[in-house]
Amino acid sequence: MTCTASSLQGAIKEPVASLFRTYETHPTVAYSRLFGGIQAILVTDQRYCRNQKTLFAKMRFTICAAKPEDCKDIERMIMELAVYEKMPDQVKISHKELERDGFGPNPYYQCLVAEVPEELMSKDGHTKVGYALFFYTYSTWKGRTVYMEDLYVMPEYRSKGIGKALMATVAKVAKEQHCVRLQFSVLDWNKPSLDFYLAKGAEDLTAKEGWHFLRFHGIALDNLAQEAP
Amino acid sequence: MANFILRKAEPKDVSDILRLIKELAKFEEMEDQVILTEKDLLEDGFGDHPFYHCIVAEVPKHHQSADGHVIIGFAMYYFTYDPWIGKLLYLEDFYVMKEYRGFGIGSEILKKLSQTAVRTRCSSMHFIVAEWNKPSIEFYKRRGASDLSLEEGWRLFKIDKQNLLKMTDEE
Repeated sequence: MTCTASSLQGAIKEPVASLFRTYETHPTVAYSRLFGGIQAILVTDQRYCRNQKTLFAKMRFTICAAKPEDCKDIERMIMELAVYEKMPDQVKISHKELERDGFGPNPYYQCLVAEVPEELMSKDGHTKVGYALFFYTYSTWKGRTVYMEDLYVMPEYRSKGIGKALMATVAKVAKEQHCVRLQFSVLDWNKPSLDFYLAKGAEDLTAKEGWHFLRFHGIALDNLAQEAP
Repeated sequence: MANFILRKAEPKDVSDILRLIKELAKFEEMEDQVILTEKDLLEDGFGDHPFYHCIVAEVPKHHQSADGHVIIGFAMYYFTYDPWIGKLLYLEDFYVMKEYRGFGIGSEILKKLSQTAVRTRCSSMHFIVAEWNKPSIEFYKRRGASDLSLEEGWRLFKIDKQNLLKMTDEE
């Protein structure tokens, strides 16, 4: 449904001209001010009326390398992801460890953060809405690889291309560092994530080749170390 | 035969390391997948930014292997990061030549690695094992390892270069 300026005029409180002016500085604010379930997206010289449910032709966001001051947001989102994975009690570190371990002279991980403009902030007032945490690993068969430890986008910002953009940026970094492969792990019940990755050409090595993750953790690790001569 | 030493790998060891990598790959029935060269190992392990660390097991000359080798075992590892618990030691490869098994060399390597993990403030040592590799799984479980794939449902995924490049093109 295409709306003309005059037909919109009756449906909205603000004069159309001020809407255009607002769009130039804050495009997303322009359409958030309309009411009555009808929202308009100003696209160059044309205006399209969309039903509220089919809004957002393209969400605006940026993907940047994380800075030390992002660690509090990263900590928040790590916990959100842990809750989703049904293991929140396993989170033992805070933003302090993240700052020390990611931004010292010898960083143990790299992190990308997805940010939206202020006018799109979450209901709790956050603009950092997604992250990808990864590091370099080594395959004795293939050489340099990247392991993506966490990929997360807050639920209200999903299906807008943010997850895809985060992953593509990790892929770009991997390519620049001459890495031949990206690896990551997914919980077997996590169907939305499994579908997301399989659509991008991911292969399940646990199913295909039988690889299992094992670990020596906590007391088991200490015991092993204490037996050393 | 109990005479052996464990030491940090040096640049001169890369040809032995590659030999052992290929032997392990053969055991895992995937030797044609090893495309790494000695040059890669040298650059990636002993350059400005090491991607891995390696310890080797060496026997004295009079105990050399049938083919005349004294480097008879190795372990390759690196440090990774878990956003829940912090630094981890990840064990990528761990192998002792068949004729030198049963003398406790593997156990000693594992102990040395766990010491390194504790000394460098790692909360955990992680690795992967093929589910059909029962002897290795038993070896690790006897020493207190837990199988996260079975216990928590984690599955390992990969995306190869071709599909990685596709992702960067779409952006």
